[in-house]
Amino acid sequence: MLDFSLVQNFIPFMVKAAWITLLLSVISIVAGLILGLFVALMKISKYKILVWIADLYLWVIRGTPLLVQLFLVYFGLPQIGIEFSPFTSAAIALGINAGAYIAEIYRGGILAVSKGQIEAAEALGMKYPTIMKKIILPQALKVSIPSLGNQAIIMLKDSSLASLVTVSELMMVSQRYASTNYAFIEFYIVAALFYLLMTTLFTFILNKIEKRMAVSEQ
Amino acid sequence: MATISIKKEEQSIEKMIKVENLEKHYGNNHVLKGINLTINRGEVVALIGSSGSGKSTLLRCLNRLETISTGKITIDDICLNESTKNISMIRQEVGMVFQQFNLFPHMTVIDNVMIGPIQVLKRKKEEVEKEALELLKKVGLADKRDMYPAKLSGGQQQRVAIARSLAMKPKIMLFDEPTSALDPELVGEVLNVMKQLAFEGMTMVVVTHEMGFAQDVADRVVYLNDGKIVEDGDPKMVLRNPKSDQLKSFLRLVKFE
Repeated sequence: MLDFSLVQNFIPFMVKAAWITLLLSVISIVAGLILGLFVALMKISKYKILVWIADLYLWVIRGTPLLVQLFLVYFGLPQIGIEFSPFTSAAIALGINAGAYIAEIYRGGILAVSKGQIEAAEALGMKYPTIMKKIILPQALKVSIPSLGNQAIIMLKDSSLASLVTVSELMMVSQRYASTNYAFIEFYIVAALFYLLMTTLFTFILNKIEKRMAVSEQ
Repeated sequence: MATISIKKEEQSIEKMIKVENLEKHYGNNHVLKGINLTINRGEVVALIGSSGSGKSTLLRCLNRLETISTGKITIDDICLNESTKNISMIRQEVGMVFQQFNLFPHMTVIDNVMIGPIQVLKRKKEEVEKEALELLKKVGLADKRDMYPAKLSGGQQQRVAIARSLAMKPKIMLFDEPTSALDPELVGEVLNVMKQLAFEGMTMVVVTHEMGFAQDVADRVVYLNDGKIVEDGDPKMVLRNPKSDQLKSFLRLVKFE
């Protein structure tokens, strides 16, 4: 028999865990957005060495499981004397992982900006950094928003992997209560609802941003 | 003595653009074959020719949107093929208007006009804004200042693009088929702005298919065919009494009678 009243007493703890999930996701999304920008700029750079470094990064990160990357940061790095807390380890791994996917999203957006835009900026005498900052990136970012939103939602869900490196986030806490109370269906359904609530919140915020950025098309 | 007098003569004509033995290759494609062209201050030159004749490429070489293979271009005493420092100097003196307008879609009309002086000349927004508004008045679009380009018609967008170029106070304006992407009824408003500029003494090089404009506004018509200048002279002479068979058949094709 299902007994959701059982879960009731644990809701405050699950809210707290969901908060950690949210925090971890947001921090790693921001890290990924920044890292991704640098990698995208490297990838379209005219300096071969930067392109190679970016290619290597994309190849390794996209070609290996996030869980392996996470374990390398949390269990691997202490072996060579670099130690982070579980939360920091998870944020680093998630951020580095997302950076690769976000870099490609940005790059797609940058390539979508028409050549005429760049020529018009050049004809005015603007130099590359200014053109990138004022002309290309604002337009690239706008077309990237839907894909970035998708990536943010993926990351929120991927953050559940942090439970495997002892971060007390939503998945970890649900798992603990589910097994101690022998109420797997109840706790996991509630956990799923929490995730659903958070992804819905993300989607809502993204729609707002998209609408605001679409102002130039009205 | 002789050299001095020649120098004086050169100064009084005031050469704005001097193209010497310009060659341009795209891989195996030889686009410009030894172009020599001198344009004086205040002159309005129409570049005509069929597509693929190299007229747009020649225009784009003048502000280094195209690199040149060999030859020399001098713009207002600045030599173009020496360093990248010169390129940005040239681009500040040479404005360009494109066939596809290329307004920045994420900026309002006035921001489009202000971005050059603010970002390139590092001028203050407040003082640039006044000038930008004047320019918008000049092209008849002051009331559209806070709109985004997507809301404007093609003709309006092109007029904003002209204002955007003028905001840099260029000495030369290049026009690359400025009316080719416009609906026929919108061509006139853009040509009128260009006429006014010509009247004010702007040095202009215009790649165009508008033979009427070439005849009425230009001081000179230069006809290019297959990467070479075939005819160059007074519009009435060149367009009314073409010497070469190529130009005769070109004028027939564009139905200029």
